[in-house]
Amino acid sequence: MGRVSTGIYGLDDLMGGGFRENTINMVRGGTGVGKTTFAMQYSLFGLNRGEKVVYISFEMSEEQIIRDCRDIGWEEIEHYIEQGDLKIIHLFGEDLTFPSLDIAEMVRKALPAQNLRLVIDPLTYPTFYSEKEKRKSLSTIFKDLRKMGTAVITLEDPSDGNHIPEGSAMPLYLADSVVYMQNLGFGEMYDRTLRIMKHRGSKHGDSLYPYTIETGLGIVIRASQKQVEKVRPKTKFDEQFKEAIERTRAMGKAGERLSARIKALQNNWTHDEDPSQLLRLVLEEEKKGHGKRN
Amino acid sequence: MAKGIDDALDDLQEIEGVEACILYRIDGVPITLRARGYKEHLLETMFWLEKQIRNVLGEMNKEGLTETIFYFRNNRILIAPSSRSTVLVTITDAEANQQLTSLETLRASKIIEGYVA
Repeated sequence: MGRVSTGIYGLDDLMGGGFRENTINMVRGGTGVGKTTFAMQYSLFGLNRGEKVVYISFEMSEEQIIRDCRDIGWEEIEHYIEQGDLKIIHLFGEDLTFPSLDIAEMVRKALPAQNLRLVIDPLTYPTFYSEKEKRKSLSTIFKDLRKMGTAVITLEDPSDGNHIPEGSAMPLYLADSVVYMQNLGFGEMYDRTLRIMKHRGSKHGDSLYPYTIETGLGIVIRASQKQVEKVRPKTKFDEQFKEAIERTRAMGKAGERLSARIKALQNNWTHDEDPSQLLRLVLEEEKKGHGKRN
Repeated sequence: MAKGIDDALDDLQEIEGVEACILYRIDGVPITLRARGYKEHLLETMFWLEKQIRNVLGEMNKEGLTETIFYFRNNRILIAPSSRSTVLVTITDAEANQQLTSLETLRASKIIEGYVA
């Protein structure tokens, strides 16, 4: 699967190269952590490389977005709106009767719905929906959006970020990746931090990464060299993997599948430890005559 | 993370008897950790610390303490705030030189403060 750059300085390295193409990526955090900055930075990164963006804003009007972008030093936004590469749709969650139909339709009307960068900032939902309807409807929205492009959806955390109500957590279950941004507000290095809570089908960093918001640049992640190295696949154990793959040859059809799995493991082996013991365990387990009962 | 913080923690971990040193944020989120291999009792201690650190710091603040020591089984757990939002925890075994580890933990916490504050 292809990758779509997040546009956030330092984040792609920690997410295996960026978001996976045609996925839903949630950015979660409290007030003032930089969720809208994240969304705009993601949008402008694509626009500056000839991509098209549909930006659905449930809070800020087009004028507010333009003003905020100008203040951070992203003057080019107006040019992209004039050119028609960026469509900003401002609406209120309460106005949506059937969000799953309305949102997909709006995107289709705005731009040809293919390989787009999509943004929903923030995800707001009709309050009259029951939990069951909400899950089904959200699932349908996400399914439609995945067909149209790669989406970043921001989600406002309740003031106490540690206890998320069941209803608010639902989009997190359904999303393909979740990035959690925090700000404790002491003005120290580890107050503003970012964590990658999940990234389906991809290796990702699992540390706590400090970040800053810089005028002109936007969000910059200050991961240490050690933290970045932890996410990079290691090639120093290639011999051990090669040997294990050789041993699968004697295992027939099951061995072919196993060798493909070991290859995938090798390509994603980020640990500093020697995989020999693990590979031995796997080969021994796979040699067992599964299905046979004594 | 600043290389200076990495170095301070590496140095602290090198001291004989230090099983682990962990830099926490005051909300109990671990920022970084140095440990000598996998030990199950360390995990239990870390889970306890994650839940308790906020309360312990609150009490320390009330009492004006610069360090607090807990004893769990054979471990001595030294908690020293390193800045307004971070706290350094050193876990040592029974044989460790207590005075040395206390002094070195406080020294490391000062170094960390210089980077994060």
